Amino acid sequence: MSAENMEYLTIALPKGKVFGKAVQLFEKIGYTAEGLSDKSRKLIITNEEQKIRFIITKTADVPVYVEYGAADIGVIGKDVLMETDKDVYELLDLNIAKCHLMMAVPKDKKRANLLDYANTRVATKFPHIAAAFFNSKGMQMEYIKLHGSIELGPIVGLSESIVDIVETGTTLRENNLEEYAFIVDATARLIANRVSFKMKFERINKLLADLRKII
Amino acid sequence: MLQNNDFLLEIPYGMRDFLPHDAAIKRNVENVLADLFQLWGYNEVITPAVEYLDTLTMGNKDELNKHMFKFFDKNNRTLTLRNEMTTSIARLVASRMQAENLPLKLSYICKVYRYEQAQTGRQCEFYQAGVEFMGNEQPSADAEIIALAIKSMQKSGLKNFQVCIGQVEFINGLMQQWQLPNTVQTDIRMALEKHDLVKLEQIADVIDLAAEAKKILKKLPLLHGKEEILQQAAQIADNDKSRKAIENLTNIYQMLTEYGLAEYIVFDLGVIRDFSYYTGMVFEIYAPGLGCPLCGGGRYDNLLANFGKACPATGFALGLERLMLALEKQGDLEELINTKDNYVAYADGKLAEAIDKAMLLRSAGEITELADRPQTLLQAEEYCNDKGYVNLVYLQ
Repeated sequence: MSAENMEYLTIALPKGKVFGKAVQLFEKIGYTAEGLSDKSRKLIITNEEQKIRFIITKTADVPVYVEYGAADIGVIGKDVLMETDKDVYELLDLNIAKCHLMMAVPKDKKRANLLDYANTRVATKFPHIAAAFFNSKGMQMEYIKLHGSIELGPIVGLSESIVDIVETGTTLRENNLEEYAFIVDATARLIANRVSFKMKFERINKLLADLRKII
Repeated sequence: MLQNNDFLLEIPYGMRDFLPHDAAIKRNVENVLADLFQLWGYNEVITPAVEYLDTLTMGNKDELNKHMFKFFDKNNRTLTLRNEMTTSIARLVASRMQAENLPLKLSYICKVYRYEQAQTGRQCEFYQAGVEFMGNEQPSADAEIIALAIKSMQKSGLKNFQVCIGQVEFINGLMQQWQLPNTVQTDIRMALEKHDLVKLEQIADVIDLAAEAKKILKKLPLLHGKEEILQQAAQIADNDKSRKAIENLTNIYQMLTEYGLAEYIVFDLGVIRDFSYYTGMVFEIYAPGLGCPLCGGGRYDNLLANFGKACPATGFALGLERLMLALEKQGDLEELINTKDNYVAYADGKLAEAIDKAMLLRSAGEITELADRPQTLLQAEEYCNDKGYVNLVYLQ
């Protein structure tokens, strides 16, 4: 099963907070399938009539499916896209799941300048983005890759700061952390496989145009 | 279920072995291509795998530099494994072959090396087959190159593929017409190369440009389709450079129609290849199910001047492993494996007759293996089936 089947348009959607919003967008322009839910035990959901196939994957895997052409297009946060640095086409800012990446530090141990944090430890889910940021400031850091609950890092003495995504900032405040440096804005994007974009141009271009109308 | 208790010796990152089955297919594809290139009047050249880094980065500046294998010679000069063939052949033509009459039509089939993340169809060591047509600046040369690329796909047995042709000058002309600063032009070219439409919109939104032009800029990567795209593009182009680019593509298309190959052609004015030496038409070939282009090329009129001989040139390279993958996906691979014709086995004392028989079959062009020792008929049948020979010849 893969995108080499020219008949179908395969769309990869990430589980989690982006999923519901992405499905809504697709529904509005008439792309849907019966039983499309991230609670579904089925990993592939097909609409035979419209020749559309949805595959539901873990967030970080969406760009992988698309890069390899196992999915033609996908929806994914810019944060994940930047972190994985995959060779895919970025077609549209869907303007959903808005957040930004930033560096946060414990409120009570705040240092005066960013450079005061040089050569300290950063806990993050995004070591590549963090490294690109600190490198651009001429700072070398020790990156500690965590897979969740990044805020825990400074509290238990694992790191001096964190780099993470923030939507409202509630979690930061609850853990006595303060936003220290802004890194980059992120929203969900529509991405496409390089070859699918050429081989299935008509369909993807139509989808793109339809989405543009409602965003 | 395989148990995890066998250990094989490792080979370096990004390298691979070809076992007999794959090697046979690769050799057959190579033979098809070598014959085809020769048939079209292209002569094969071979250049060394190791070159000076300075030589190979001359046309391409630094974007590929970080993906090159580098080491030092005895005098501490930096050496590199070639990462593609066009620059090496440009060096060859501008130096060793500079006395030859133009045009020069050259071909190659060889290994090149890129130090990057290895994945299917993207190994650090891989095979490229290609041609270079040097000394002609006409669209007829570009049409010949594209036609030969298409024929290469067809002759290898690939049925389903698409050729996307574009020309970066069309975009450059528009950007000059809009009088965009150089830094913005570079940003736009980068966004177009990566097909980053979001970035392109962001750039378009902040630069100082008429609303109509902004709209065109945002639509550039979507200028994709059959020849009607050229008419659309001609309407947008209000400058010499862009108009010439469209005229050039129109001419190339007409000639490809003469070749009878127009059905494969799609125009995509957003195609920008990742080698900065291209100056005119560029193209890529895609096949369904393969996430990356399997062939690419274009016109590079300034590269040879870097080596001291100004000379227009155009050419293409195709990735042999990628072509094999595409053939496999389209189920056309097994045709490329030779039928194993005969297994000649013999009873005790019949070796001399067996040799005679085997030599006779071989001189008739049939693939024939001679048994390595006397066998019973049963043993011979078993071996013959196991190795997949069509005929058993048993001498007793």
